[in-house]
Amino acid sequence: MIEYDELEQKMVMKLVYYGPALSGKTTNLLRLHDLLAHEGRGDLMVLDTKDDRTIFFDLLPFFLTAPSGLKIKVKVYTVPGQVRHDATRKAVLQRADGVAFIADSRLSEKTNNFESFENLEKNLAIVGLEIEKIPLVIQFNKRDLKDIVPESDIKHIWGPTGIPIFMASALEGWGVIETFSRLADLTYDRIDKRYGLGENHGLDKETFVKTLTHKAQEV
Amino acid sequence: MEKGQNNPGNIEYVIGSEKTLKEIISEAEVIPLLKSAVRAGASKAMVINPDGKIIWTYSNHIKDRTVSETLTLPLYLEGEIVGNVVIKGDSKERDYLKGLSGMLLDALNIIINNNLKRMLTTEIHTTVVNRSYEELVETNTRLKISEARYRELAQNLEKKVQERTEELKHVYARLLQQEKMASVGQLAAGVAHEINNPMGFITSNINTFGKYISKLKEMIEFYRTINHDSSKAEKLYERLKIDFIMNDIPHLIRQSIDGAERVKKIVSDLKGFSHIDDACETMIDINREIDRTISVLAHEIPEDAGIIRDYHELPEFICNPALICQVFLNIILNAIQTKREGLKLTISTVFEDGNIRIRFSDNGPGITEDLRKRVFEPFFTTKDVGKGTGLGLTVAYEIITAYGGTIDVESLPGEGATFVIRLPLKRTQKMIHDTGYRIKNNQNNKPFIVHYGDI
Repeated sequence: MIEYDELEQKMVMKLVYYGPALSGKTTNLLRLHDLLAHEGRGDLMVLDTKDDRTIFFDLLPFFLTAPSGLKIKVKVYTVPGQVRHDATRKAVLQRADGVAFIADSRLSEKTNNFESFENLEKNLAIVGLEIEKIPLVIQFNKRDLKDIVPESDIKHIWGPTGIPIFMASALEGWGVIETFSRLADLTYDRIDKRYGLGENHGLDKETFVKTLTHKAQEV
Repeated sequence: MEKGQNNPGNIEYVIGSEKTLKEIISEAEVIPLLKSAVRAGASKAMVINPDGKIIWTYSNHIKDRTVSETLTLPLYLEGEIVGNVVIKGDSKERDYLKGLSGMLLDALNIIINNNLKRMLTTEIHTTVVNRSYEELVETNTRLKISEARYRELAQNLEKKVQERTEELKHVYARLLQQEKMASVGQLAAGVAHEINNPMGFITSNINTFGKYISKLKEMIEFYRTINHDSSKAEKLYERLKIDFIMNDIPHLIRQSIDGAERVKKIVSDLKGFSHIDDACETMIDINREIDRTISVLAHEIPEDAGIIRDYHELPEFICNPALICQVFLNIILNAIQTKREGLKLTISTVFEDGNIRIRFSDNGPGITEDLRKRVFEPFFTTKDVGKGTGLGLTVAYEIITAYGGTIDVESLPGEGATFVIRLPLKRTQKMIHDTGYRIKNNQNNKPFIVHYGDI
């Protein structure tokens, strides 16, 4: 849950990129880092990796100030996807304000996606969060590859759940900002309800999302 | 954390909590950099708060140095401006100072980033290790509890097995005895049947024989009256003691008939005792069943033994008579076997407080206290090998408890033993009793003494 320090006029939001191993969570953050303007965000912090696999987590921080002077930090984390790092996943998932589930579109990864989603449900419950309430978006990554689950199938399966679904290729850089924008959008709604970001701090949703997803100028 | 607090064993931790600049980078790391900047030509190098307060500073001690230029560069931490790097120097060296401040900022940023990375790594590592440790401790505790439970279960299992074994032993003993009694009963019934037939014609023949004899006697008398002067015949009559024979014959016949009657009674008692005809529960009169048992045991009871029956009227009791008789048989037999000479056995029955009480008191050697506890144990016997099975009293105990009753033994060594049986009347039986029950035997309720020899 959100960290809010009224005295310091500071708020820290936590967004978590979850998903099976090698589904492209870190790549998503790398792309966001590359695509978004340097202003108002920190550097991508990639903690130790081994053979390109996240062991701990990655962190991409954003910073903005509401018209009221409220300082808002948005920290975007990835979790390690490998089954063995479940304790780390749980630790990172603590107090999350929103979750982006990055699924691997490849047909061969169906089971892994399913197991990881189940793991997300379980871990959310363990850290005291409810999957029905937490802002959640799903991204089907690696759409640039062959042998992937057709989009129609995905829509058919996930449509009824009402969870926003995005097609993306983090490698090619598309669908990444859309996923992030929607997650920011949903998270804003949740936090606005509780802290009145618009009413008390003069920060409307559009500005919030736009500030976070402000693209770097084309060079 | 709304729900998490209700989650027992769930420790609270947050990765990447907010840190101030001073928490991330130390004076020991900053000062050398500021020193280098000053050495490289700046007159003063500082790191200040966003609100202008100096955090760290280092300046040249040479006073005459011109300070005409101040360069300020923002210092970011996770996208947030957390301070400024300030370089002061000569405005003539502005470009140089600019480069210098840029370098200083980059150096600080690298240290900050590396430190932050290291801190985050340590944080997550510690968290995971702590969590794993907690989980291990939890698992260990759970394992210990479950181990204790299994150990307890194993111990109980042994006890349970022992209990069941004991139970089985009892049931087995009872079955064994019942089977034995059943086959004895069958044999008795068979023998009784076989004896009944010849006894029938023996009795009938003796009666006929009696009639024939009286006819012959009449005939002999007639011959004597018409031939009374035949001294030869009279001499023979005298010599053969026909007078005596004539008088003795009715006695002999009477005795034979009595004997036959007795055989008949014994056979019928035997049949009755074995209850070969009624195997299921019926209404019985306990007093009568005790009598029956004594009759069957007649041959075992020494001539000089005295059996005192102190019977009181009893309501009828619903039970399997074969089983109840077996209880009486075992107890009486026990008494007989403990004292071969001068046995005095008092059997008293009474009905009080809804219970039928039967006491068997003998004047045998009695039972010592430690043996008293064991007399009902299966296969426990004080008799010589081959004489007793050690089952008699066990079976008695089993049967009485099966009817919801109790059987106890009272004894003082040297003063005989008393077995006390209490049989509770069941509800339905009580009703029969309350509405007036039938007494079949011993209606005068007075105790009477019977010496076996008198029967």
